[in-house]
Amino acid sequence: MSEYSERIHAGLPLDDLEIIDLHAHLGPYFNMHIPAGDPDSMIRIMDRCGIQKTVLSPNLGWQSDFVLANTMMLEALKAHRGRLYGACAVNGHYPELSLDELNRCFQERHVVMIKIHPAGTKCRLDDRRMERIYDFAAQHRLFILAHTWLDNDPYGNQDLFASVAKSRPDILWIMGHSGGPYGSAHAVELAREIPNIFLDIALSMCPARQIEFFVKELGAERVLFGTDNPFIDPRPQIGRVGLARISHQDRVNIFGANARRYIRFDESAVL
Amino acid sequence: MATAGIEEALVYHAVARDAHPPLGNSLLMEEIKGCRELHPVWVLLPHHTGEIPPPDQLLCEMKAHGVQAVRMYPGRDHHSFSLAEWCAGELLSALDTARIPLVLDTEIVGWEEVFSLLKSYPRLPLIMANCSYRHNRFLYPLFEKFKNLYVETSRFMGGGAIEDVVRHFGARPLLFGTNMPYYTGTAAVALVTYADLTAQDQEAIAGGNLRRLIREMWP
Repeated sequence: MSEYSERIHAGLPLDDLEIIDLHAHLGPYFNMHIPAGDPDSMIRIMDRCGIQKTVLSPNLGWQSDFVLANTMMLEALKAHRGRLYGACAVNGHYPELSLDELNRCFQERHVVMIKIHPAGTKCRLDDRRMERIYDFAAQHRLFILAHTWLDNDPYGNQDLFASVAKSRPDILWIMGHSGGPYGSAHAVELAREIPNIFLDIALSMCPARQIEFFVKELGAERVLFGTDNPFIDPRPQIGRVGLARISHQDRVNIFGANARRYIRFDESAVL
Repeated sequence: MATAGIEEALVYHAVARDAHPPLGNSLLMEEIKGCRELHPVWVLLPHHTGEIPPPDQLLCEMKAHGVQAVRMYPGRDHHSFSLAEWCAGELLSALDTARIPLVLDTEIVGWEEVFSLLKSYPRLPLIMANCSYRHNRFLYPLFEKFKNLYVETSRFMGGGAIEDVVRHFGARPLLFGTNMPYYTGTAAVALVTYADLTAQDQEAIAGGNLRRLIREMWP
């Protein structure tokens, strides 16, 4: 029985450990209705379950106007200092504009990661136009969160992701969704082989015992908490990790300690 | 179920879905025998080929076995039959009369078909499984028109989605679901316990709504 069972079943926030969501978005999207997609609603839901910090990149960033997306992200960060942080959206089809965006966004100290959506932008992860984006990430020792989805995604499937991560050991790579609901075993295989790969748990189709499997086969230190909020409500993900049959220390690592180890969250504005 | 804190579940057999409904249904009854937490859901076909008894006989068997809902997998990629009146009309009419909840998978049945079923069988509780954050624009107009449409919540996890449905339509259309053992029940439970709703609405979603549907069977 989890040490958080009572709190989760009572609907109380987990308030004795830090929860940092490294995979979130913001705003509307073309093919879905998102009832709680604005920053204030996201904060309200974070408070309800105990998520202290969320790193987000707006939904517009991969299939529409990524400059507008980044501007939305920066505005959200200013409105919620110390709670919302940014992942700068880039698009390999626009390499110069992407570099301009990286330089613009990273002037804001609450932007801490880069977000790439190969399937959405229809630009392969190994496209040579991505190289200068990768150079920027390496120079600043950043996490790149890349969407991956099973093996039928020609732009960012797990094997392609792994080959790029292997070729760029100077970057920390988050395998977004860990390849999707049937990708868990292969995700672990690849992460075992390539030490700069981290697994992301954000999924609406949450495979039974996936968290336990990741911890047992890879170790909790390489598993990062993500929710896909507001596509996906973050509260179920709290249940997934909070009720998993893992040790307290593993839970602490997944929920936030791992993120703390690699990202310097500027909190000066909230002190 | 214990890890997630789930007390009871309606279950169907994977063999009934992936191989052959009658075989899977009989395996189900064997496997859950004596297990008070698990209640049977049968997978059905229309009766014309003789694989499943005619509706009158089928419903008697279902009642005798305590079946609490049914599932159907129409379409040529699944169980190769149609939900249209000429094919499944007699079976659907019998289910409608007996108010047996019918679970259909959103990935298999189109929304035009759902609309047609709701219109043709107004007493049939129709539960859509596998609804996700991509389905609200189909669901909301149907919720406005039909009181016999329900959504099970195993994938209904859009940001604020539960509260938004309750705000517009009340808790009535939402039925707790997990899709275990494919998905984890731990996520499904937290979706409801952390929902910003009254305790009454949370209890309705967690089990009250389904219990009411089961009480209303066999009028």
